Amino acid sequence: MMMKRSPLVLGNKTLKDVSDDICAPVERFPSKGWVGLFLGAKTLLLFYIAILASVVGIGIGLLGVNSPVFWGTMIVTFVFWIGIGHAGTLISAVLFLFRQKWRTSVARTAEAMTVFAVMTAGLFPLLHTGRPWLDYWLFPYPNQRGPLWVNFRSPLLWDVFAVSTYATVSMVFWYIGLVPDFATIKDRAKNKLRRTLYGALSLGWRGTARNWSHYEMVYLILAGLSTPLVLSVHTIVSFDFAVSNLPGWHTTIFPPYFVAGAIFSGFAMVVTLMTLVRIGFKEFQNYVTLDHMEVMNKIIMTTGMLVGYAYASEFFIAWYSGNQYERFVFVNRAFGPYGWSYWMMVTCNVLIPQLFWFKKMRRSIPVMFVVSIFVNIGMWFERFVITVTSLHRDFLPSSWGMYAWSWFDTGVLVGSFGMFLTLFLLYLRLFPAVSIAEVKPVLHVGYDEKGGH
Amino acid sequence: MAKYTKGIAGIWDDEHMILKAARKTREAGFTKFEAISSYPIHGMEEACGIKRSWIPYVTFVAGVVGLTCGLLLTWWTSAVNWAINVGGKPFFSLPAFIPIMFELTILFAALASVGALFYACGIPRIDPPVIDPDLSSHKFAIFVPQNDVGYDEAKIEKMFKELGATDVKKTEY
Amino acid sequence: MSEMHHDHELEMKKALRPKIERDNKYWLSLEQWNNDPEFAKAAETEFLSSPLREKDGEEGGWARREFLKLMGASIAMASAGCIRRPVQKIVPYNKQPEEVTLGLANYYSSAYMEGSEGLAVLIKTREGRPIKIEANPGHPFSISGLNIRSQASLLNLYDPERLKGPQRNLFNEKKTNSQVIDVKWEDLDKKVVEQLKKGDVVILTGAISSPATRAVIGDFAQGFKAKHVVWDAISNEDVLAGQKASYGDEVIPAYRFDKAKMIVSIDADFLGTWISPTAFTNQFVEGRKDIKNMNRLVSFDSNYSLTGANADIRFKIKPSQQLDVVMGLLHEIIVKKGASGYAGNGSVKAALAPFADVAAKLGFDAEIFAKVAADLLANRGQSVVVAGGLQAMTEKSKELQVAVNFLNSVLDNEGKTVDAKGGNSAVKGSYADLISLVQDMKNGKVKTLIVHRVNPGFVLPEELGFADAAKKVEMVLYTGDRIDETGVFADYIVPDNHALESWNDAELANGVYTICQPAIRPMYDTRSFQLSLMTWAYLANQGPARLREYETFYDYLRVFWKSDIMPKVGKGKDFEDFWLETLQKGYAGDISKGSSARSFKVEAFTAIKPAAAASGYELVLYPTSQMGDGSLNNVAWLHELPDPITKIVWDNYVMVSLATAEKHQLKEGNVIELTVGEKKIELPIHIQPGLHDDVLAIAVGYGRTRVGKVGNGIGQNAFALASFKDGKMIFAGQKAEFKKLHKKYELACTQGHHVMEGRNIVAEATLKDYNKKKDAGIHRHHTWSIWSGHEYSGHKWGMAVDLHTCTGCSSCVIACQSENNVPVVGKRYVLEGREMHWLRIDRYYTGNPADAEAVFQPILCQHCDNAPCETVCPVLATVHSDEGLNDMVYNRCVGTRYCANNCPYKVRRFNWFNYAKLIEKPLHMALNPSVGVRTRGVMEKCTFCVQRIHDAKTLARNEKRQLKDGDVKTACQTACPAGGIVFGDLNDPNSAVAKIFKTEERGYALLEEWHAKPSVRYLSKIRNNDKETTGGHDNGHGTAKQGEHS
Repeated sequence: MMMKRSPLVLGNKTLKDVSDDICAPVERFPSKGWVGLFLGAKTLLLFYIAILASVVGIGIGLLGVNSPVFWGTMIVTFVFWIGIGHAGTLISAVLFLFRQKWRTSVARTAEAMTVFAVMTAGLFPLLHTGRPWLDYWLFPYPNQRGPLWVNFRSPLLWDVFAVSTYATVSMVFWYIGLVPDFATIKDRAKNKLRRTLYGALSLGWRGTARNWSHYEMVYLILAGLSTPLVLSVHTIVSFDFAVSNLPGWHTTIFPPYFVAGAIFSGFAMVVTLMTLVRIGFKEFQNYVTLDHMEVMNKIIMTTGMLVGYAYASEFFIAWYSGNQYERFVFVNRAFGPYGWSYWMMVTCNVLIPQLFWFKKMRRSIPVMFVVSIFVNIGMWFERFVITVTSLHRDFLPSSWGMYAWSWFDTGVLVGSFGMFLTLFLLYLRLFPAVSIAEVKPVLHVGYDEKGGH
Repeated sequence: MAKYTKGIAGIWDDEHMILKAARKTREAGFTKFEAISSYPIHGMEEACGIKRSWIPYVTFVAGVVGLTCGLLLTWWTSAVNWAINVGGKPFFSLPAFIPIMFELTILFAALASVGALFYACGIPRIDPPVIDPDLSSHKFAIFVPQNDVGYDEAKIEKMFKELGATDVKKTEY
Repeated sequence: MSEMHHDHELEMKKALRPKIERDNKYWLSLEQWNNDPEFAKAAETEFLSSPLREKDGEEGGWARREFLKLMGASIAMASAGCIRRPVQKIVPYNKQPEEVTLGLANYYSSAYMEGSEGLAVLIKTREGRPIKIEANPGHPFSISGLNIRSQASLLNLYDPERLKGPQRNLFNEKKTNSQVIDVKWEDLDKKVVEQLKKGDVVILTGAISSPATRAVIGDFAQGFKAKHVVWDAISNEDVLAGQKASYGDEVIPAYRFDKAKMIVSIDADFLGTWISPTAFTNQFVEGRKDIKNMNRLVSFDSNYSLTGANADIRFKIKPSQQLDVVMGLLHEIIVKKGASGYAGNGSVKAALAPFADVAAKLGFDAEIFAKVAADLLANRGQSVVVAGGLQAMTEKSKELQVAVNFLNSVLDNEGKTVDAKGGNSAVKGSYADLISLVQDMKNGKVKTLIVHRVNPGFVLPEELGFADAAKKVEMVLYTGDRIDETGVFADYIVPDNHALESWNDAELANGVYTICQPAIRPMYDTRSFQLSLMTWAYLANQGPARLREYETFYDYLRVFWKSDIMPKVGKGKDFEDFWLETLQKGYAGDISKGSSARSFKVEAFTAIKPAAAASGYELVLYPTSQMGDGSLNNVAWLHELPDPITKIVWDNYVMVSLATAEKHQLKEGNVIELTVGEKKIELPIHIQPGLHDDVLAIAVGYGRTRVGKVGNGIGQNAFALASFKDGKMIFAGQKAEFKKLHKKYELACTQGHHVMEGRNIVAEATLKDYNKKKDAGIHRHHTWSIWSGHEYSGHKWGMAVDLHTCTGCSSCVIACQSENNVPVVGKRYVLEGREMHWLRIDRYYTGNPADAEAVFQPILCQHCDNAPCETVCPVLATVHSDEGLNDMVYNRCVGTRYCANNCPYKVRRFNWFNYAKLIEKPLHMALNPSVGVRTRGVMEKCTFCVQRIHDAKTLARNEKRQLKDGDVKTACQTACPAGGIVFGDLNDPNSAVAKIFKTEERGYALLEEWHAKPSVRYLSKIRNNDKETTGGHDNGHGTAKQGEHS
């Protein structure tokens, strides 16, 4: 879609400008805005830690989980963050394979977001258990308890493998991308500490032609591996639900539906963050241009319609299956006591993104910011709808109930943003937020007279 | 790679010129020279006559190993070492084990490839000598080690100058 | 029981310890100088009110030491999964009774008595602590099963708030203050004896079905010229009065529901609370097991009683219509059909004339009503009509009873299904006597009042002035185990042993005698009521010899049995043999049968005048089968047990009908102010389907103020609304108004939704359907699998639950709780959906909500062969045993709760918090050491009582034999009075359960189409009305909204 050669980097930058611009935030003293945000985020993080500590210390019962809704906020929020953790790898890997050059300037931040989102998400499955201090039992390690292994048939175990693999690989992928840029920062470093620090991070990288050729190969391989991986992760997360036999969970459409949703929410989060980054760091506006934002908005709209289609087909299949439990669950979703959350989801995920049919909207920073926020809300509610409304009324009416939302649930949900934002803000300060080494080759794109390719 | 060799380096500030320089250096019969840039330059491999990376083979083998480990782990633990009736399912429920096998495949392949990269590039390397700090930003260099065939500082310096090097320095790399 | 014997000697010694006779009048100062401990305490507490109020060491001392050991032991047992080793380490049984083997349970036959209900029980003890009350199968009266409270009485033994010893209330002149101190028995006895000698002694007790105790009281009364007043909060004096008026003898006859093909109940909740529900349930079910000619139960119900819920045909009425119903039936039979000799009797006809068109008047379907009469007639001598219970204690209760008796006589049921001889003559007690006692107290005619195990302070409405009366009595002695609503008026608390701590006997039904053995040495410094009386008689040297000369009540009991009981039921036997045999069997004698029809006094009937048609709301007070009269109100199990009908816990409330609720825009939990005469009460409402629109029903037994931490302030005391009119207490039919207050109160209901939404959950069919097609109402599905599945070579455990006989009485729920150490979580957490019961009873309403029918379904872990829970557990904490059990491995459980999400039956319970930590000492002594106590963060659920399976296996191995059918009985199974639960080995083709699985057409697997292959089969419910429907499956349709309460 970026075949029309509008420049990827504005302002006719030279190689040096690129290095200077991108390294600036790392080298200059932090702005008031950044400090303010960071303190806010950190406070939230501390509050989050307090909440989690009391939940682990006193009991998971502090949250609203109960019978029949045995899974609640923590799982909902887990899926929410994991979903967000998809855009990064998607942009850096899939778009890389598709040779989408525009990706270069957003890839780094998107990947960072991925890593932090996965870290935030990763906490939940660990802490939502009844006895978190025994979570290591989920790993198949040889032990003295006589033959005692784990249950490889359980989707939760697949989760353990999928999420940890994904976390590892995406982190490695991200770091490999960072290595040459660390080298750049190191060489620009004025003081010893910075030099040693980034020197260590750069692993003593020297951009010789041989290194670059291996480097590009590995980058390609990682991209190639991450692409099926990223699809598998959310597929497996969806298995947590799809493999159970609960009406509303037990659905074959879940894997593609979840992946689409993940991309959807991921890109929304990227847009949210990028709009802020553009405001925070003016120099990035030439690298993350309106064109970039527009492309992402297009993807948001497309995936938004994909999930919309999923919602619709779920209903159709529920009716078509002729299974009374299945039918009931979906009628109950839309018109039962939790109907409001369902319509919230539909509005945020399907209706609002339709704004992006209009170019004006696609290219308006305020509009896309607001829309992306709505999408984030909508996607949280999607997971809430799937998890809670399916559980709260299942087979035997006698055991029906409602989720007993407590303020600890709110704490967990809000607090998780504290963790994510803290990490992200630190990243903006300490890491080059745009890939220097990847932008440089595409400097000339759009400046035809200079050629490039 | 731990020890560094002396040699001579020329510095350029333009992508096209370094490409040309590299080609010439190679034609001059040098084989051990290094072309240094802050980003991968399209066509540099040909210019320096670098063969295609061998890392993909590592990736493949590691992937296969990962897959096998996944299969063996799941099969041995659930069907051999501790065969137990879970939900009335067969002891060896292969379909349920596929996700595990897949993830291990990816994990092994990815980590092995990165390992290979480290090996190939000789990193991590502690504080290597820097010819020019700008090489990681906007300058380009070619370094010819003194142990290269037909190494002759004067000739090389002359050649570099002709090829438009902004600067030529004797250094260690 | 050498140990016990020893113990009683000790008690006696205490009582007989030599005392320095001192004349208080002159030596007050000397006493001070001598610092008599009690005086010191009196001084200290009166003037210094020092915090150092020491419980006196000597007496309680060594009993307490023993108890401490046990406590230590059971801590170990609670914590350690394996119980043997720690126990041996911790409890050095310095004088271990030979019959106690560590790790093995002992059973002692005994009996449980409360009001009119008596049950033969076995007390299961481990290492000398009672841990469970079990049924004593084969007892001629309570054939099988138990009721709720008998099992819960165990917790009452370990109630932390029980008194630890005798106490004295240092009243001032006006008895306005309250200053309670501990006293020593000998001091107490001294004071009491002095007082008793002054005469005017009255003993107030509940109905006492223990012959020996009656004898003791008799002797005592004789000795001290004392009066014995018998009164129970929930008595059946209406029946007594009716019987007297109709036949001249004041007796509660034995009703033989097993012999009745046609049963009509007018508000007599004989399956839930009336007279002896457990035995009645046995009989009732007996008449239903053979479905083809099962009995028919027609219920006229003015609250939604358990009996009404189990009725084949249920009419909703209000109390003022009870008499009309009976008269209407009589009119149908005598006047319309001209059946019976009375058809010619003019005065009878005249009396019946006003009731010509009752059906129309009460809004019944005339045809169905006529059919009821016809059915009664068709089953002459094989039918029974009963009325009674608090719900029937209206102003016209006597007329009602007379009419009922007349109807029974007309139908020749008298002497057949209504058997005066077999009845329990012991069950007496009347409010009238109590009220006159209160009068005497007011007039100072009573110098000493001994109150034994009844609680007038709580039950009697304020205006009857028990409080003031009690203050006019010189000395009030109370034998209760706590200073409760009556205890506060007592000068001395003379704590009686708990029933499980003392010897006693019981006559559960005429001619059947049981001995109650103590199962544990008295935990505290208490003394049995009988021994107190004996001690006082001894010290005062008054009363017949046998009262004075025996050291312990145990001796008295034996002598009494030798002289009085054995001649009746053990003629010519050697006493020791007879005694032991009785102890082993648990009873002696048999129900005296073969009574003949008594002649009915027609004049009593013809005197009945029709009541003016009543309009407006009528109050119905009713007892619940869990709380009864509220005496066990401090037992948490009872509060957390869902009410069998409403499924609400931890509260009482006003039941109103759907229409009434709509009329006043009342939502579930709206608080109303109810006005009855001058009395007002504030309670939340519960919208009850199938309730008469003019009825406001409230459960009694709640709203206690001085029972303890658990029960205080739960609900409101509805007894207070009763009123005393011309010689009887009125509990039902009083005019009542209410106004809606703008308050909301959350009622905790354990059931989320109350109709089946047209799902095939409880399969139900009518008898007609059944006769056509045995599996009518069951939706069969064809299921198949792509692989053969696992083999079960050894045992394969399975269970069958018969929904046809299940009355929903819920005693299995308590049995399960007691057996498996199921924690109680309290109202707040029930509201949040965290109740822990492993076995729950689902109650669904079917049909039109205005007069909804109810069906019950016990739900427990189904132990599916393809257990969905197992597949999803990541750590293999729940896996399948090779005997088909769905094992739950607590210590492996990490608590992902995925299993519970994936369980279609939602039987899994999660420990959201550390409930075990909250068990207060010594309540933990009630824990079953064979079952681990679960910690926080693990899942738990029904195990098919795996510990019992293991015990049975061990037993069989020791006896070198194969396990045979019936060796393993689950806790719920043993407690079920309907015999509705069958458990056993499916691989044993001859086992009862295997036969049911193979041959019973009514059998079906719940959610069969989900192919989890449960090891539990439910047998469809058959309703014997004349309808033809497709049964339960479709009944739920379209009633979702109205049915919904939560």
